[in-house]
Amino acid sequence: MTVKCVSCGSCGFPMEKAEDFALGDPSQPYCRYCTDSAGALLPYENVLAVNARHYVETQGVSPEAARTMAAALLASMPAWRDRAPI
Amino acid sequence: MRHASRKEQKHATQRRLVEVGLDFFAARGFANSNTADFAKAAGVSHGAVFLHFPTREALVLRVLDAFGDRLSAALREAMQGEASFKGALRAHLTVLREYEPFYARLVQEGPLLPLKARSLLFILNASVSHRLKLAAEAEAAAGAMRKIAPHLLFNTWLALLHYYIANRDVFAPGQSVLAAKGEELIAHFLSLVRSGEKP
Repeated sequence: MTVKCVSCGSCGFPMEKAEDFALGDPSQPYCRYCTDSAGALLPYENVLAVNARHYVETQGVSPEAARTMAAALLASMPAWRDRAPI
Repeated sequence: MRHASRKEQKHATQRRLVEVGLDFFAARGFANSNTADFAKAAGVSHGAVFLHFPTREALVLRVLDAFGDRLSAALREAMQGEASFKGALRAHLTVLREYEPFYARLVQEGPLLPLKARSLLFILNASVSHRLKLAAEAEAAAGAMRKIAPHLLFNTWLALLHYYIANRDVFAPGQSVLAAKGEELIAHFLSLVRSGEKP
């Protein structure tokens, strides 16, 4: 099933298909990568690590720079924008 | 007729300043522009700029955010469902061509910008690299493409594009370098990565 493309409120991942959403449910605000098996949002550190790894794999940047970039991205996301900085 | 509230007016002015910023920074760059000239371009007083953005960096970051949102949405729309590697390259190039003046500034001045701003290109490019990886894997499985590590495949493509974009005034004076050279770059890159093709 294809649904109107929206972005994950945690990491910005474009959710194009039902299986991209938490629990495979297009009404969920977060993607399957940012949530656990019950559909709950994972802790910030887990989401940060997954996103940082994505930058390493797709662009070959250093793990340290990848973490900085991931933190910059998450800081603007609805799930994390009100979170106090580390 | 209902009058806009003060808050609505403030938001409308901020949106307008961001729109002006997209053209202003594309034309003037980030390093060699100042808020006084920006205020003139926007038709507001210098002080009014700081009513909406406390610092020059805040203004630049807001404009960059707006640019990132638009480019990201355009890339997603253009590349969604594009299964062929060549089609994905062309979709990427077509979107960058549309946003070329501003994107060129990011390429040219990116390393001089604050890290938060520099991150924008890498964040945008993560999804492009992922799309190219999916298309490349499918073609490699069919024996049509060489197997290349995803980050090297993407970085090689981007290095080619960025070299031409950074030197656009030399390669295509007065016009879009991606319009002038895009097809040539796609053909060349494909000749490097496809099995059995001679460069």
